[in-house]
Amino acid sequence: MKPLRRHPHSVLHPDPSRAAGPARLAARLTASLLIAACVVGCNKSDSTSPAGEEPAGKQLTVGVNFETLQTEYWVAGFEAIKAELKGRNIRIVESIADGDSNRQLQQVRTFVTRKVDGIILVPKDAKTCIPAIKAANEAGIPIVLFNRPAAEAQGVRSIAVVADNRKLTRETVEFMIGEARKTGKQHKGLVIVGDLGDINAIGRREGFYDAVKGQEAVVNVVAEVPSEWNQEKARSGVVNALQAHPDISFIFSSSDFLFPSVVAALKSANKYHKLGELGHVILGGFDGDATAYQMLVDGYLDATGVQDVYFEAERSVQALLDRLAGKEVPSLIRDPGFVIHQGNLEAKRERMWGAQVGRK
Amino acid sequence: MASLPALRLLKRALLADHLVLWLCLVYSAALAPFTPGFASWGNLQTILAYAMPILVVSVGLTLVLIVGGIDLSVTSIVALASVVGGKVMSADEGWLAGHALAVPAGLLAMLSVSAGLGAINGLAVTACRIPPFIATLTTMMLVSGLAIWLTLSRKIGGLPPGFVRLGQELWLAGMTAGVTTWLAHLALSCTLYGKWLYAIGHNARAASVSGVPVARVTFFTYVVSGWFAGLAAILFTAGLETGNPEMARDNLLDVVGAVVIGGTSLYGGRGRVSGTVFGVLFLALVDNSLNLLGLTFYTITMVKGGAILAAALTDALRNRLLTQE
Repeated sequence: MKPLRRHPHSVLHPDPSRAAGPARLAARLTASLLIAACVVGCNKSDSTSPAGEEPAGKQLTVGVNFETLQTEYWVAGFEAIKAELKGRNIRIVESIADGDSNRQLQQVRTFVTRKVDGIILVPKDAKTCIPAIKAANEAGIPIVLFNRPAAEAQGVRSIAVVADNRKLTRETVEFMIGEARKTGKQHKGLVIVGDLGDINAIGRREGFYDAVKGQEAVVNVVAEVPSEWNQEKARSGVVNALQAHPDISFIFSSSDFLFPSVVAALKSANKYHKLGELGHVILGGFDGDATAYQMLVDGYLDATGVQDVYFEAERSVQALLDRLAGKEVPSLIRDPGFVIHQGNLEAKRERMWGAQVGRK
Repeated sequence: MASLPALRLLKRALLADHLVLWLCLVYSAALAPFTPGFASWGNLQTILAYAMPILVVSVGLTLVLIVGGIDLSVTSIVALASVVGGKVMSADEGWLAGHALAVPAGLLAMLSVSAGLGAINGLAVTACRIPPFIATLTTMMLVSGLAIWLTLSRKIGGLPPGFVRLGQELWLAGMTAGVTTWLAHLALSCTLYGKWLYAIGHNARAASVSGVPVARVTFFTYVVSGWFAGLAAILFTAGLETGNPEMARDNLLDVVGAVVIGGTSLYGGRGRVSGTVFGVLFLALVDNSLNLLGLTFYTITMVKGGAILAAALTDALRNRLLTQE
């Protein structure tokens, strides 16, 4: 039998000093609180500006918090906002929540602690961001939500700069239906939807159904794949749908970042062909990322709805400055976006953020 | 040999009970002058508000690690409890929407579901003799899937103000986390149950021979861990005013990391609740200060990963030193 190792808390060798455990813990906690209080006391002067920096009022500081940088879209948005702020000589404090709502709340509170002049936030979702907005409101710091609005909540004030997901999706899908109509046959359709806790995903789903409603003679939707914004779920969903309906020939993805999953599934079903080739599946998406741009250039993608990242970044910063200047700012600023396709690729590529990312 | 005293000092430091506490204090003192806003009351509140739910989950996990197990499902239990609470209490879609008993019923449901899931883990480990890693990994997957299925990934808002106060008023959340942590500390250090935990974690066979009811104690510890996850779910859900099927999904590394940094051995048989308190505090301090310093997300992640790795290596070293003695 393995011998019992020496251990201070062993049942066979109880440590008498353990009896004083609660007292020791209390002493330790008291000591740590005292020292923390001393540190706090010694630094009470720390208030509006970081040590060694210019006095408040000379240069504005804006906190930029993104819930994730996992997709090209968010990276492009992050860079566009930073470029916009730098261009206006505004100091930036950044943080990323890595998909964690609790961490995001802490990071926004950290901005409040640093007494930033404004906050630009990409919330994790529409509901869990409410306490973060409240924290900014209570501190009197204007807050702009980039690309993702918050849910309605009483007494919560924010400005949201968002693409009209529903309208832009409807326009994109209407273009795809136009292409489908030209083939003169009825297509079986598939739509990949995002995380339905994300208001953008809901808008895109609604936009899709707005467009296909009454168009059953051209597109008959036979499958809806829930992706939860997860590439692997999207891939397995499309594979399953193609097995159930091998004649699917019309696919709309609620985000371009899911295209690698769609392409993999189409390739495995031997259905990935260029426009004009026999068996081409009409493909459309939303976002305008580098993958979508390359697919357009290579002739595989019919259309995608492009969110104008540069417009949204510029309006987000301007909205903050306007609010700081005491001007009236609407609580919702719409990015009209645009549909890019083979017919207008040359003319529109300069405003497509995915084309710029690809170039870098 | 000139290096001998230095080695002795290093050995003493490694075996010291208060290593992480001192680390927290030295770290805070070193960074405070250079980190804007770090040493302020507002920031201390931010750190505490962030750390308290994580502390509660971590305390439950500490008990499981001491008994020689592991519970990978704790954050998934938090997510499911969050959803269950939302489903019971939400004014938008709750089963008891607007009812006077919505909050107590919601709290009871969250704690019961969590303890029940802990019991399933406990049964799997003790009755079915499934290795804890596999048993709790399976529970994690099942419970995560269930939380998403119940909500179809939607977040549940409209939680009653009385419930939301539990997570948003610092003194209330602090009292909840503080009292339960204190009770766990007392249970571990002053009761027979605590001594049994250490004995089982050290050597389950020897403990059994000595008359310790190994299976019952282990089972109960998983139930307690689940219950603590449920309590954390209350703090998380109230703090964010949302029942969320992804709640705490990304916190598992923080929780395990904090417990290990706090000196609880991954090999079982060693650990203290106070160590976990300081482990959680240390990770929260690192996270908060590096954010305040304006470091990028990638740097913060690497620093935190490095701290957890260092703690795991220290644990291995401590273990070797203890067995040599």
